[in-house]
Amino acid sequence: MSMSLDIAALGPMLAVGVGAILLPIAEVLLARKRTFLSRPLTRERRGTFLAVGSLLCLVIALIVSFNGFVGPVRVFNMSNPMIVMDRVSHFLNIVVLLGAAMTVLVSVKYLADIRTNHGEYYALVMSSVLGMMFLTSATDLILLFLALELMSIPLYVLSGFQRESLRSNESALKYFLVGSFASAILLYGMALLYGATGSVSLAEIGARFDPESAIDMLGAALVLVGLGFKISSVPFHQWAPDVYEGAPTTVTGFMATTVKVAAFGALLRVLTLALEPASDVVYGALWVIAVLTMTVGNLMAIIQQNIKRMLAYSSIAHAGYVLVGLIVGTIEGYAAVLFYLLVYTFMTLGAFTVVAILAKGGEDRDRIDDLAGLGATRPLMAAAMAISMFALAGIPPTAGFMGKFQLFRAAIERGTETGDTSLFVLAILGVLNSAVSLAYYLRVPLVMYFREPDAKLTPDLPGFFERFVLLTCLAAIVLLGVVPGDVFVIFGDFDILSKTTAAAQQLLSPPSP
Amino acid sequence: MLDGIGGWVDQHLLTALIFSPIASLLVPMMLEAFGWRLSVTMWKGFALIVSLVGLGLGIEVWRRFDATVGSMQMVEHSTWISGYGINYYVGIDGISLFLVVLAAFLLPIILIASWVEIAKRVKQYIFFMMLLQTGMLGAFLSLNLFLFYVFWEVMLIPMYFVIGIWGGPGRLYATVKFFIYTMLGSLLMLVGILVLVFLHYQQFPGDPVTFDYIGFAGAPGIIDTPIPTEGQPWWQNQSCLFLLFGLSFAIKVPVFPFHTWLPDAHVEAPTAGSVVLAGVLLKLGTYGFLRYSLPLFPVATIDLAPWVLGLAVIGIIYGALVAMVQQDIKRLVAYASVSHLGFVMLGLFALNLQGLEGALLQMVNHGLSTGALFLLVGMLYQRRHVRDIAEFGGLARVMPTFTAFFVITTMASIGLPLLNGFVGEFLILIGIFAVSPLVAVLATSGIILSAVYMLWMVRRVFFGPLLHDVNRKLVDLGLREKLVATAMVVPMIWIGIYPSSFLRPMDRSLSALLRKMEARGADIAAYQGLGESSGRASKESTDTSGPESGE
Repeated sequence: MSMSLDIAALGPMLAVGVGAILLPIAEVLLARKRTFLSRPLTRERRGTFLAVGSLLCLVIALIVSFNGFVGPVRVFNMSNPMIVMDRVSHFLNIVVLLGAAMTVLVSVKYLADIRTNHGEYYALVMSSVLGMMFLTSATDLILLFLALELMSIPLYVLSGFQRESLRSNESALKYFLVGSFASAILLYGMALLYGATGSVSLAEIGARFDPESAIDMLGAALVLVGLGFKISSVPFHQWAPDVYEGAPTTVTGFMATTVKVAAFGALLRVLTLALEPASDVVYGALWVIAVLTMTVGNLMAIIQQNIKRMLAYSSIAHAGYVLVGLIVGTIEGYAAVLFYLLVYTFMTLGAFTVVAILAKGGEDRDRIDDLAGLGATRPLMAAAMAISMFALAGIPPTAGFMGKFQLFRAAIERGTETGDTSLFVLAILGVLNSAVSLAYYLRVPLVMYFREPDAKLTPDLPGFFERFVLLTCLAAIVLLGVVPGDVFVIFGDFDILSKTTAAAQQLLSPPSP
Repeated sequence: MLDGIGGWVDQHLLTALIFSPIASLLVPMMLEAFGWRLSVTMWKGFALIVSLVGLGLGIEVWRRFDATVGSMQMVEHSTWISGYGINYYVGIDGISLFLVVLAAFLLPIILIASWVEIAKRVKQYIFFMMLLQTGMLGAFLSLNLFLFYVFWEVMLIPMYFVIGIWGGPGRLYATVKFFIYTMLGSLLMLVGILVLVFLHYQQFPGDPVTFDYIGFAGAPGIIDTPIPTEGQPWWQNQSCLFLLFGLSFAIKVPVFPFHTWLPDAHVEAPTAGSVVLAGVLLKLGTYGFLRYSLPLFPVATIDLAPWVLGLAVIGIIYGALVAMVQQDIKRLVAYASVSHLGFVMLGLFALNLQGLEGALLQMVNHGLSTGALFLLVGMLYQRRHVRDIAEFGGLARVMPTFTAFFVITTMASIGLPLLNGFVGEFLILIGIFAVSPLVAVLATSGIILSAVYMLWMVRRVFFGPLLHDVNRKLVDLGLREKLVATAMVVPMIWIGIYPSSFLRPMDRSLSALLRKMEARGADIAAYQGLGESSGRASKESTDTSGPESGE
């Protein structure tokens, strides 16, 4: 067999990777006294240049991914298919890239506001994105682990990016310790799986997996625990609130969305390819984890005073909802997961963007009370925040409702088909959790609209980039909620609901090498 | 262009009715976007014109309505999300007709009544009222379960803001409680809807998944799905599904013991909010029972009816007793609402024509009389900024016109003959007597109690000596307020004197509903009591309803 490498399959990764390498160099060039623009640049200017540069790479990667999405499945190396660029990877990459692009746009002013405008920020974001993109397309344990580390290590640095801040340092240290711990567990699980099956390819592990054997099951369990840390499912969630609270807000938004998307991508692959033979036990365990995750996340979010902490618990709860789709395990279930991850990214980033804009004078203003009177002083920001909250709570006609609807629809569909009561109970627990979540989501519009503003603390006007992000999130939340079937018509024939279904279909029928 | 719009409206009357409130707001918004500064009065005037157009559309729907047909009319159907069975599907029948007309009728009245009261954030207020109107009309007219659910939930957000921004001192607590209570119920309903839809899908394997309640163009709708009563997993049984739907409706009605959000919401809401809440929003709960629970789960309905009747009776008596000890007039009216809606529930679960007609009519009646009471209390509050009964006394001397309107409304509310409340309560009592004389007797005691607390309140507020000097300076109703009050009283008298113009259009649809229940396995005859007693009851009812409607 000849070595045929399909380099072009890696198009989106290349665009991002080139960016990750060139950006630090560009920073050095821009920081010199005599730049190629022949005059020294201020720190802000440099940041803007680098942000636009990274944005360029991300947009190129987005375009390539869109093209790949409608094209056929491509495998990087046919003789050893470690990287499969199918619709699932492209879809998740698009979500990750969108999240990253919005993060970069918001970071420009935010980094200046918290006086941490260092150029390496963008290079770190790009490397992390690169890791995520490999993670969503990895069908091999080795690559999966490498991608996971490539994603995580820049994030450890990013969460400690505000060097002078104690909170930020604490966040980085905690994230690093827990993250390495999780990686070690994951690696241990992988080693066991390799030892038991003699292969690192997910598909081959699936073929040789023996659900009767203790080693196989232990390996599977440890892999799930390792990934469970990354999606912050209960009981592997304790790091999330502390890390999210301390990290710079834009980084938190980035972590809360893209990392989850990529980790869920990996989980999807592992569950469908490798752990299929053990599905009964695995899904039983996931059922318990999903219920715990939703319940603990929502209950803990109620008592938070800090909005970043609240959103951290909210993101834990949402991981629980997404798990519902995985447990269902049908095409509809996976399609719902993909759709939900897209919607979740917009909802959560919308909220984090508002929090990022509020930062002023070198400090975050991230108590919920800091939002008082925002409805009167900054109507657009307040509207974006309120609609994000309503969407996260799953109130129609927002995208958040459509996402939850898809998840629970898939569960009930499967449940009525098989008469499986546990899926019905899961749906009931899910909607009860949604009702509980109202208690904290509603507090935000309540503070913004029903309380008088603090006259001393008028927040900055959102700049052009921020306004662009807010409007994008708003448009996405409304459009994906009202006309999910017709969204993206402007990009050609791109019906998001049928396309997520098509992507999910590919997940169940992976290409054979 | 106007012809084009007119022609479109002619073809899509119900769509125009549902979306005209919210869509028309684009006009002033565009004007403002292009730099015109519209004054607050212009915004209010525009909203009033839109609401009057809405009323016109509502009356046009009533005019076109064919009372000889029991099925859906003026149906519109188009795909919303293809492949998911989610369609934009609306239609009207005798069950929704008057609730829709009531909603269209109340909006202009509310806007006129709150012309002065709402002073801050007028634009937002108008936006939320219009969104609320769209949500309510949409929920009444939807024939697709998904569409129904979306409209049902869309109502929550504007109501949340209306109470939260323009409400009284305890508004934050009240509005969050209202939101969480109602949302909890409706989320469970969503699961119920999904189970139903996929049961349907299993029963009709050749057909695509559909959320259409009534089949369109020959396809079977959800209503044609046979739902097992046993044998399947427990959560696919009628009883479980009935509970999933019923809890949502029961919270909205509200049925005792799910009523605790209501007094808080009513007391804290601004007048407009209270009127919409009492007038239309609560009716969605009873409408939901009538439209969905009864025909979809007829066997479970009969199985669980004793429980519902029991809760309804408790609600009637409990609401009345609690109303009796209230110091705050608005709170009193709120508890009276709980009591009166218990009657509506009794009528619904009597499961005979008299009961259903009475219940449906009583929904309209309650909307009118309780709505009017809230409007009048609002006018009083506007003048004195208190609502405690003890703060008033002898108002009849200083505000004779106001007193007259208030007394008429009170009489309508406690069911004085020749006013609307009497007809509804009477029909309900006939209906429920056929099922259980005991329940009827207990319910009648609720009527007596309601007379007690209402008349007591009227005596203490309006008659006797003028106790407080502040009240000497109160001015009687102005022209605007007289207009509002008159508009509310006229239909009360109309229904009281000539109810047939309202009962006739309901007739066919309600008997069709009862036939549907029987066809779906409900043994209504057995439920109505066996043999002779049943015959006597129905004979009695025909005897009495004869002169009633011919009056």
